Amino acid sequence: MPLSILLPMVVVGIAGIAVLLHLLGLSRRATLADAAKARAAWLREFPTDAPIHVTLCDNRSAALIATETGRGVVWPMGADTTARYLTGARVTKTSSGLRLDLPDYTAPRIHIALDPDEATAWQDALKETA
Amino acid sequence: MTDTITFPDVVNWAVPLFIAAILAELLWIVIKGRGGRYETRDALTSLIMGAGNVASGILLGFVAYGFFMLLWEITPLDLGPSIGIIALCFVLDDLRYYWVHRFGHRIRWVWASHVNHHSSQHYNLTTALRQTWTGTFTFMMVVRAPLILLGFHPAMVLFVGGLNLIYQFWIHTEAIGKMPRWFEAVMNTPSHHRVHHGRNPRYLDCNYAGVFIIWDKLFGTFVPELEEEKVDYGLVHNLGTFNPIRVAFHEWVGIFRDATQPGLTWRERLNYCIMPPGWSHDGSRETSTAIKSRHVRRNPGLAGTPGLPPLTNRRS
Repeated sequence: MPLSILLPMVVVGIAGIAVLLHLLGLSRRATLADAAKARAAWLREFPTDAPIHVTLCDNRSAALIATETGRGVVWPMGADTTARYLTGARVTKTSSGLRLDLPDYTAPRIHIALDPDEATAWQDALKETA
Repeated sequence: MTDTITFPDVVNWAVPLFIAAILAELLWIVIKGRGGRYETRDALTSLIMGAGNVASGILLGFVAYGFFMLLWEITPLDLGPSIGIIALCFVLDDLRYYWVHRFGHRIRWVWASHVNHHSSQHYNLTTALRQTWTGTFTFMMVVRAPLILLGFHPAMVLFVGGLNLIYQFWIHTEAIGKMPRWFEAVMNTPSHHRVHHGRNPRYLDCNYAGVFIIWDKLFGTFVPELEEEKVDYGLVHNLGTFNPIRVAFHEWVGIFRDATQPGLTWRERLNYCIMPPGWSHDGSRETSTAIKSRHVRRNPGLAGTPGLPPLTNRRS
């Protein structure tokens, strides 16, 4: 197939599908309904390191996890979730919550939406274990 | 020796079919409320990975093709372009695919290229297009060398490889349950391939087939989809980014970081490149074999069931 046909078809196809998915409401992020869901989401990534404490944020978009190994975070990846330890994380307060910069090529930056008081509490909690 | 043989670039010609099928699957899921899941950023990443795969083929395809033409010059054999020979080439190339795919899961250097195909937590037709950008650097084109040396023209080998890829497109769906028994017995199907995309310990590293599932049954890597264990899609450690650059290169970066850390022997550095994913010089990580063993130790009742080893006292 000539590139002059293939290229526009690919570009229009990708853009069209993305717009359609968004209009169908399929851009919604996962939420963690309760601490048990946050715990399950953590164990899905780290099945041998059970949480000893779960701090679910007010809007249920993320959770701070404490295990015997250290601190971690669970957050949405689109309609699903993932989790990382916070070893070596740099924590920065932003206008919408916290930004976590991790030394991890597969999860370099995590934005967590928190209200100002909650952001301060999370930041303090992370300082304690830093 | 036939040098002027030409075959259509079937993968590029199939692009409209891919787009139409994705729209049809999406429509089915939205209308029926079952048969899979879509998410915008996940699908967009998969589609961009697919476009990047086509682009990398255009930019780097000459490397493999040059290698194949060199072999074609060397070989005294020429089987010609008859329908029977094309069919035979298709079957043998599918056997080639099985082994390349198996290497792709068991050798970290090859996994670095293939991992992005498994990096979605979704399983739909866009996942099929989440393809590698770095296949050339795995040097797996050498596995095709025997076909060309046997007298199958390079253009034919690439043509049947394209057909193989197109076949595998439709099996990336949850909208189809199980096919008729005879079909499930011989062919790779959505059910068999769902298992291949599973991150459940039971489903790790199995069902490598492209078109014919018989290769897995023959070489002992077949695991059926079990009703009692739903497939959990994605990687053992799921990505925390949708950035296609990071999706494409993350395992290469991981290999580089691991192999260049200070204090390792040259053997250990090499092993970070060629041992199965999850291998580490200090045993701090888990390979799929270790994950399966741990799962069985925690769930002894599952020992020896499909995809899981018998219970042993040895920790691997």
